[in-house]
Amino acid sequence: MPEAVQLNQGSNKPFVIPGKPFAAEDEAALREALKRCSPSTFEAAVQFRKTGNPEHLPAVVIGVIERFVEPDLRMKLKDADDDLRLIEDLGIDSLTMMEIVILVEDVLQMSINNDELRNLRTVGDVKTFIDCKVRGLALPKPTKFLPIEQIAAIMPIQPPFLFLNEASVSSNGANGKYKITGQEFFLQGHFKDNPVMPASIMLEALGQLAVLYLLEGAATEPGKVISPNTIFFTGCEGVRAHRVCRPGDILTLSIKPKRMKMPLATFEGAIRVGQEKAAIAEEITMTFGFADAVAQPVPVNGATTKLNGENGAHAPTPFRAAVNT
Amino acid sequence: MPRVFITGLGFITSIGNDATQVTQSLRELRHGFELYPPFQKPEIPVKVAAPVRGFATDSTDCEDWSFPARYSIKREVLRGMAPHGVYAWCAMQQAVEDAKLSEADVSNAQTGLYAASGGSPYLMGHMLQRMHTLGVMRCSPLGIVASISGTVQFNLVAHFKIKGSSCGFASACASSSHALGFAYDDLVLGRQKRMFVVGAEDGNMDAILPFAGMRALSLQADPNLASRPFDVARDGFVGTGGGVVLVLETEDEVARRGVKPYCEVLGWGQASDGHNVAISHPEGTGLRAAMENALRATGTAAEEVDYVNAHATSTPIGDLSEAKALKAIFKTPAARPAISSTKSLTGHGLSLAGAMESGFCALAIRDGFMPGSAHISKLDPECEGLNIIRSTLSAQPHIALNNVSGFGGANVSLVFKQTS
Repeated sequence: MPEAVQLNQGSNKPFVIPGKPFAAEDEAALREALKRCSPSTFEAAVQFRKTGNPEHLPAVVIGVIERFVEPDLRMKLKDADDDLRLIEDLGIDSLTMMEIVILVEDVLQMSINNDELRNLRTVGDVKTFIDCKVRGLALPKPTKFLPIEQIAAIMPIQPPFLFLNEASVSSNGANGKYKITGQEFFLQGHFKDNPVMPASIMLEALGQLAVLYLLEGAATEPGKVISPNTIFFTGCEGVRAHRVCRPGDILTLSIKPKRMKMPLATFEGAIRVGQEKAAIAEEITMTFGFADAVAQPVPVNGATTKLNGENGAHAPTPFRAAVNT
Repeated sequence: MPRVFITGLGFITSIGNDATQVTQSLRELRHGFELYPPFQKPEIPVKVAAPVRGFATDSTDCEDWSFPARYSIKREVLRGMAPHGVYAWCAMQQAVEDAKLSEADVSNAQTGLYAASGGSPYLMGHMLQRMHTLGVMRCSPLGIVASISGTVQFNLVAHFKIKGSSCGFASACASSSHALGFAYDDLVLGRQKRMFVVGAEDGNMDAILPFAGMRALSLQADPNLASRPFDVARDGFVGTGGGVVLVLETEDEVARRGVKPYCEVLGWGQASDGHNVAISHPEGTGLRAAMENALRATGTAAEEVDYVNAHATSTPIGDLSEAKALKAIFKTPAARPAISSTKSLTGHGLSLAGAMESGFCALAIRDGFMPGSAHISKLDPECEGLNIIRSTLSAQPHIALNNVSGFGGANVSLVFKQTS
């Protein structure tokens, strides 16, 4: 994705509050533009336009997305986490994404390039993207989606001790899912005639997600990569289990980096089952080490060939308007 | 050569939004004219139009539009449509139901769709204005698809999952007759088994008023007098919009599905004036040749024709030109067919005209009537000798002819026959 990152930065100017104050006619135009959005969306947009405070952005962006989502899918957005996918979960196609972009541009008075849209797969991506645009920050690496095959190809940990079925990794953290099948070998003895996922294994699963983050999402020094053979568990703090998890439960795991300084990386982690909290770890710490990066072949014409899961697995290429003329 | 039949019809027109209403209006000569509100300004000399009822499509934002409760159209479908796309979509729903077609009958490699419309000047104007004021990247992503000529088939082909032939026809007021003619050819040639033929127009201010510049529109302020084809005092046409869909099928498909057709499409003919970009040939040479070609191609003698649905739009030059062509074809005064222009009730639908009036012919043949030519108080002496019927006849036409003439001097004549 190097070419996309460069393009992004070129167009990524900080938001500037226009010289003239937000006038009554601006408010009227804004009201008209957002007439099919919720009142709170309009209010957030007004506050943003008046103050330039980026805290109002998520409400504006989510409100605009909501307006273009079919009514029967809007409930998903109500209690969405940042992992909600635009195409797969919300049914937004590339043309609808253009409509969203045009309205966001209009309301926030910014312009967004086609190239910048390519990597927006989730609601969280969109929020982060707009936030970076407005603050004038470099855009983060795009979220990568990794199915089990790719996870297994990357990880030093292998079945039957790998507790991730799928994962998404961005520079802000990682999310994953694991379904307790009931076939796990340790459930035969944990407990007798009463299979319960061991809390220690749930902590292990969070640790595995942190390993995946270190290998796929963490920033490294130029020319270096984190070596899979150097990552080991060192400690954890504030681990609490809240819910008994059994075969059939789908664990939704998330980790976020708290501190990272060679050779230690500390994460916070949480596991949910549906909306229920299952376990948390205030801190999980690992050691890691660097190895020299091996140069990878560069595709001709900068085509976005997938190398080592660089662009996610086989998810649909998002938001290039495929247009027949 | 396989025979071809009309097995389904759908109507959104100024005289009715389904076949039943349309038939009643044609029989009782109920017109669709009104003092069209957008025209009621001092600077607009044109006052009368024949808008479609039951739809509100006067906003540039399709989510503001409303349509009769029996239709439900999703936003993602609506966003690529012009007003006439919605009319055609609704007419298509009717036609599919009317012909008793299953989803598999509609969506297969042997079923195609030919369509005609003039595009949407209204949405095109809006989009260009937006582009000039807000910049090129702020135009609606589907603005082009909704506004250019071809928008009807883009939408219907995609949303009804048409897999066979599809394209659009652009010969102005002859367009949807060309669509019907070439659809017939595809069926006869064995390329398709079933064809949808669609004609549609916005029929709003931006679609109609540009014709004022060429002095083609009636300036009459009385809705009862504005459209009066063949009357000596006619002064131009009255604009209308809508959408009409016809289902054409080969005899094998008719037999396989066991449906009762409205009538047979016997064939068609076309010819051009080679005369003027916008004015009919004064002697009607092109239209006369088109009728001759249609009669010859279908093996029909002029004396066999019972009814002619004339193109006559109520313009001084056009009606006269057609009258001369009709006299040249139907030479024996005693054997002249009943002639009427149903534009005296609907107004002129431009690209919609051929499909709409072919649909009227199908209704007339099935239901056994010939609609009268309304609003004639004094027949133009030049039309004397033609059997222009001023009231509806309760007689079944055995063979009916539908004429259209378009810009550039394009003329098409279609022949329909009672199913024996």
